[in-house]
Amino acid sequence: MKKLIFSICLLVFIIPPTVFAQDSTSTSLSVKIAPGELLPVSVKLSNFGGGNKVDVTITYGITSDKNIEIYKTSDTVAVETTNNFVKTIQIPFNTSPGIYTEKTSIAYQGQAAPATSEFKFNVERKIFGVFQSQFLLYGGITLLISILMVFIGYWIVKNRTTRFTPIDYSNIPKHERVFYELISDTILGMRQKVGDRALDVVSQVEGITLDENTGRVVKLTRTPSKIIAELVAGYEKILGEKVSFSFREPR
Amino acid sequence: MNKTILIIEDEPALRKILSDLLQKNSFSILEAKDGKEGVTIALEKHPDLILLDLLMPVMNGMEALKKIRQDVWGEKVPVIILTNLSATDEKLVQDMVTERPLYYLIKSDWNINDVVKKVKEVLV
Repeated sequence: MKKLIFSICLLVFIIPPTVFAQDSTSTSLSVKIAPGELLPVSVKLSNFGGGNKVDVTITYGITSDKNIEIYKTSDTVAVETTNNFVKTIQIPFNTSPGIYTEKTSIAYQGQAAPATSEFKFNVERKIFGVFQSQFLLYGGITLLISILMVFIGYWIVKNRTTRFTPIDYSNIPKHERVFYELISDTILGMRQKVGDRALDVVSQVEGITLDENTGRVVKLTRTPSKIIAELVAGYEKILGEKVSFSFREPR
Repeated sequence: MNKTILIIEDEPALRKILSDLLQKNSFSILEAKDGKEGVTIALEKHPDLILLDLLMPVMNGMEALKKIRQDVWGEKVPVIILTNLSATDEKLVQDMVTERPLYYLIKSDWNINDVVKKVKEVLV
């Protein structure tokens, strides 16, 4: 009889149900699954008994870390040489989050030694299709990025300098500064309304030197109030309307 | 406590429109029909902001502003000039720069709601 040398080799793998890496030794806790999802278990049976077909009963069980069995089922398959298949186990919907052990064992007639294989896995609930722990992690990262974006946006807007940004004249002596600011802001306001035609008016007013690139008032060589009055008159001619002003807060 | 605004304006119709709209926006209003009356009320009541017309009988707006600025309180009170007078006169510009209103607004360019917005920008 070949019965004595007959044996069944059981190899059980889990197929990762998620995108996370899984060690084929089936002991890694990186496998996460949510209640109600399917846990795929890859079973490989090899019969070294010389070609005799043997009916093998495979029992699958899931127990919690407190050794409470939450699932148990069994199948019978015939094995002549090898038999490989994937068994899917649905994790009960009411399963509490925690660490569980899937234990697979086989039984067949004339079995000389028990054959079992087991692996641990993690059950975790999902929020909007994402595992709870990942949801908190990704949610936190998203929140941080959003806050960062808001701050960066605010900083960019605050520090943006365009040709319509009021020019700083803090280097000009205080008693003259107000004229520089008023002339500069008036030209700026006009550029917003009539574009670079505003600069044509400036070029017709004597006693004012502008930096062509920045629009900065470089020098005033006539009475500033006279320059302002002439600028306003020039702009009123272009616009066909009177000109309003705003003054900067005194520093 | 509501902020108080003094309207110094000789046109009764404009004074009333401004007054009504600012009151609707929870401001307390004081009114003066010319510069002289405006100076008296301003120095007595110390409003939080003054809306000032320039061309007025008895005492014009710029004269009134100069008198208000001579006062310790009046030196820093925010003033918005509302006028139809164009700033094309050298002396007017010089006075404006010296007396430092916050805004010099041309009435015809500004609707009343925009003026109220400016007031709120300053006071709220």
